[in-house]
Amino acid sequence: MPKFETSEKTFFDLLGRKCSDEELERIFPRAKAELDDHDTENHVLKIELNDTNRPDLWSAMGLTRLLRTYENPEKLPTFDFFSSSEFTADNKGRELHVGESVKEVRQYSCGFVATGKVVDDEILRTLIQSQEKLCWNFGRKRRSIAMGIYRNDLINYPIHYDGADPDKTHFVPLHMEEDLSLREILEKHPKGQEFGYIIKDAPVYPYLYDDKGNTLSMPPVINSAYVGAVEVGDSNLFVEMSGPGLRDILLCASIMACDMADMGFTIEPVKVVYPYETEFGKEITVPYYFQEPASCTLEEIKHVLGEDISADEAQEALLRMGVYSVVEGSKIFITCPEYRNDFLHPVDVVEDVMIGYGLENFEPEIPKDFTIGRLSPAEEFGRKVKDIMVGLGFQEMMYNYLGSKREYADNMNISTDGMIFIANPMSENFEVVRPSVLPSLLESEGSSQHAVYPHRIFEVGKTAHLEASDNSGTVTRNTLGFMLADNQAGFNDVNSLVNTLMYFLKKEYTLRTPGEDGRFIPGRCAEIVVEGKKVGIFGEIHPQVLENWGCAVPTVVCEIDLDSLL
Amino acid sequence: MVAFMIDVRNLHPLEVRLLRFAEKDVDLTSEKIVEALGYKIGQCNQAFSWLSAKGFLAETSRRTAVLYELTELGKTQAEQGTPAMRIFNLLKGGKQMEITAIREALGLEQSDIGSAYGSLSKAGICGMTEDKKAFLKTEELPEFLKATDELLKKGINGALEESSLTDGEKALMAQISKKRGASGSPYKVSEREEVVYRITEEGLEAKKAVLEANITGEEIGVLTPQIISSGSWKNASFRPYGLDAPVSRLIPGRHNPYGNYIQWVKDKLTSLGFEEFDGPLVENEFWNGDALFMPQFHSARDIHDVYYVKDPVHCKEIEEPWLTNVARAHENGGDTGSRGWNYKFDHEFTRRQVLRSQGTVLSAHQLTKCKKPGKYFGVVRCFRYDEVDATHGADFYQTEGIVIGKEANLKELLGLLKMFATEIAGATDYKYVPGYFPFTEPSIEIHIKHPKLGWFELGGSGIFRPEVTKALGVDEPVLAWGLGIDRMALMNLGLSDIRDLFTPEIESVRTRRGN
Repeated sequence: MPKFETSEKTFFDLLGRKCSDEELERIFPRAKAELDDHDTENHVLKIELNDTNRPDLWSAMGLTRLLRTYENPEKLPTFDFFSSSEFTADNKGRELHVGESVKEVRQYSCGFVATGKVVDDEILRTLIQSQEKLCWNFGRKRRSIAMGIYRNDLINYPIHYDGADPDKTHFVPLHMEEDLSLREILEKHPKGQEFGYIIKDAPVYPYLYDDKGNTLSMPPVINSAYVGAVEVGDSNLFVEMSGPGLRDILLCASIMACDMADMGFTIEPVKVVYPYETEFGKEITVPYYFQEPASCTLEEIKHVLGEDISADEAQEALLRMGVYSVVEGSKIFITCPEYRNDFLHPVDVVEDVMIGYGLENFEPEIPKDFTIGRLSPAEEFGRKVKDIMVGLGFQEMMYNYLGSKREYADNMNISTDGMIFIANPMSENFEVVRPSVLPSLLESEGSSQHAVYPHRIFEVGKTAHLEASDNSGTVTRNTLGFMLADNQAGFNDVNSLVNTLMYFLKKEYTLRTPGEDGRFIPGRCAEIVVEGKKVGIFGEIHPQVLENWGCAVPTVVCEIDLDSLL
Repeated sequence: MVAFMIDVRNLHPLEVRLLRFAEKDVDLTSEKIVEALGYKIGQCNQAFSWLSAKGFLAETSRRTAVLYELTELGKTQAEQGTPAMRIFNLLKGGKQMEITAIREALGLEQSDIGSAYGSLSKAGICGMTEDKKAFLKTEELPEFLKATDELLKKGINGALEESSLTDGEKALMAQISKKRGASGSPYKVSEREEVVYRITEEGLEAKKAVLEANITGEEIGVLTPQIISSGSWKNASFRPYGLDAPVSRLIPGRHNPYGNYIQWVKDKLTSLGFEEFDGPLVENEFWNGDALFMPQFHSARDIHDVYYVKDPVHCKEIEEPWLTNVARAHENGGDTGSRGWNYKFDHEFTRRQVLRSQGTVLSAHQLTKCKKPGKYFGVVRCFRYDEVDATHGADFYQTEGIVIGKEANLKELLGLLKMFATEIAGATDYKYVPGYFPFTEPSIEIHIKHPKLGWFELGGSGIFRPEVTKALGVDEPVLAWGLGIDRMALMNLGLSDIRDLFTPEIESVRTRRGN
């Protein structure tokens, strides 16, 4: 979940009033926000946002905009700098020209100018934080959205965005003094090492420069040290986004423009010119309103929320959420705010109605449908097995299902045949899905020698292994494993235990000698066969295996596939 | 004073009999008790020690006694005679025998014969003929053999105290006894601390009480089948047991307390009308994410969020019509009333196999085969790509479920959550908060107030998006919910580290108790 920090002053100035932590906790749920921390020493609020589909809320500006509007719906915020398919704002000659050759690497770019406000420490911190949150969380670590902010006074329009030769093009990247080729930046600059993978293998690299050839940046990696080095005191900024999806970067530009307008900047549009038709034409003046209309019906509201809500009430609720709407018959048409694009389905509109109406205004009702509760057959059988094992004096254990090759194969003196490996394990301690309960039981034994003997333990749990006939090529089984470790423990003990267990489970069985099995002492193990099918195995653990696990007393074990007894 | 605090009925028979024997101003020693009451020396010491601790006896003096006790060898020799004595007796009457013949006749070891003959020869009692036959030079029993024999026989009735021996006996004893490794010698020497006790004033009080209560020390201790069948119990009384004695530890067969808690939750849910579902640990991207309308480019579907199966990388196929329906829902909404996520659905990615990362996967599966109306739940193991620490396990249980019904709506969802809060968490204070999950709209969290921990999120829930339900063939609304029972289980078991729920430590699990 995204989190952001803001100074108390910025936040409460934007909100229009000061309030206590309790009050914040009361109003934050309207934005699905939580007060993560309030550092009263440094006067900083740390806020977590739960809605990953609402990137507009991940800043003090966006969050307070919603909270303000909720309390004063009559003051619906408006932004007059948007162009759309029907209206084009004056770009005052500022253009961004996109080239043909960048299409295969990172097709789209867009931007706007923010001016008339002097950048101070707090503004700079806020801008950098917004950039990080949007590009990291929403922009998938810059893969789908990268953002750059530049010193507009140094830019000679038009700006160009195109593919550039990675070896012949060079500039001095931000936070460095050396003039490096684009490829060298990927190798040497920390940001190049971090984000270079996005463009590394392309024949040309994305490159943003002005009409005099001054470098702005190499998106999505790094700004230049000159035009791209915004500082405290600057008051004229160019904000740019790039990415493989046009809608994503337009939305991101809209969010930034609205946020910066709320900070006091004047937003001035830039016309982006493509050499081909995009879904919004060849020329797009940014910020650009591209959102489609959305709607829902009063019936849908009643159906989902279970409450009769009138058209007026619904419109009022939507307005609190910053959403303007008109009603035609029983249908409510909404205008999606410029900084949002999360209305995929009428239920998304209904949710805004719900929050705007106030969750506390819905009376809980006990579900009316009568249904019969029931445990799964495997659970019922498992409980029967557990009760018998407990009656036989065994302690039930519960184990993790991931382990290492060492535990499941090497220590058990068997090969890895049939085991399910993880392709991207976090560590080699958790790289195999448990194929058997026995290694878990032996791990217990190896680490419990201080515990009073005899040790009688068992688990009813899942095991999984490869099974070619299944669609997944694997199978998960409900499995019983039990272990007896004691100075006197031997084959006859486990044989009797199996006999007692099978008697009470009402299963006729026979025993047969298994093939070679490194886990057991040869001649002291047996396969359990029910209706001609092998369902389990038991015997005396081989001393080599005991040594591998650091076990010091004779140990007998048994494992039974419960699914095949069901 | 102590006497008044002790119930004389709780005295051990060894104590009772000794008390009854004790008289004012008369010395008590272990020797005396052994002789008078037939105690073994160990029993005698126990009785002294217990009664002293109670203040009924007081030590008046102590001295170190040297004791001589027959060894096994010594006992044999006391009965049969020493090897030298036996040779003497064998050769009596002018017999002449070769050494080997003597050995065979007496059944002795060669070395014993050798040293015994040597001692007789040295004392001038035995001689050897020219043809190597031994004979007696005198028929009269020599003094040293006689003295040894007498000293051995003296020890048959118990250990000899040094002070009871004559000087001659002492000298002889020095030759035939040893302190350590005495098995080759007839006598073993040991030292014993001998303590002299007298009964105290309190002891006299206790003795009086014992006499008045007619406690004899002959009360029945262990009730045996013989006592029952013989009827001897009819004229006897039973020795009562003290209640402050330490009790021995038992190790019973037991259910795992965390398992018990999960069973309890399952029983609660079935009592609320829910039917249990379960499924395999290996899933694919389709059910783990696509079917839940999480776009394939969603940030939570990264390589760093889910465990991929190394082999087979892909499942063979995704069942139709679900594959087509879901792909269309993603691309343009299909028939679900949605505009979709507006991207090209990847049909290879969707078959990629993963370890189940959320229980909701099973809810999605259940939608394709559910009864309507229907209520389902599962408590299922899930795997999350996280560093293992006190709050994150490599795998963990999630409790999830769905409610399918024509009337299922937000108000019923709130009612359901309230039911969970009161019935399962036992909460009286709870609140609803709007939440966010990719597969539900609207989404609601329920928070409860715990008496110790304060407010925390008990569960997340919502109404499944139509992109989820319609694509999987369900037109009715579906309420989906999940409960964080791990946290409640930790509280229930008094644990703070989530790894302890799955500890392999036997002792830790054996002694763990739930509430």
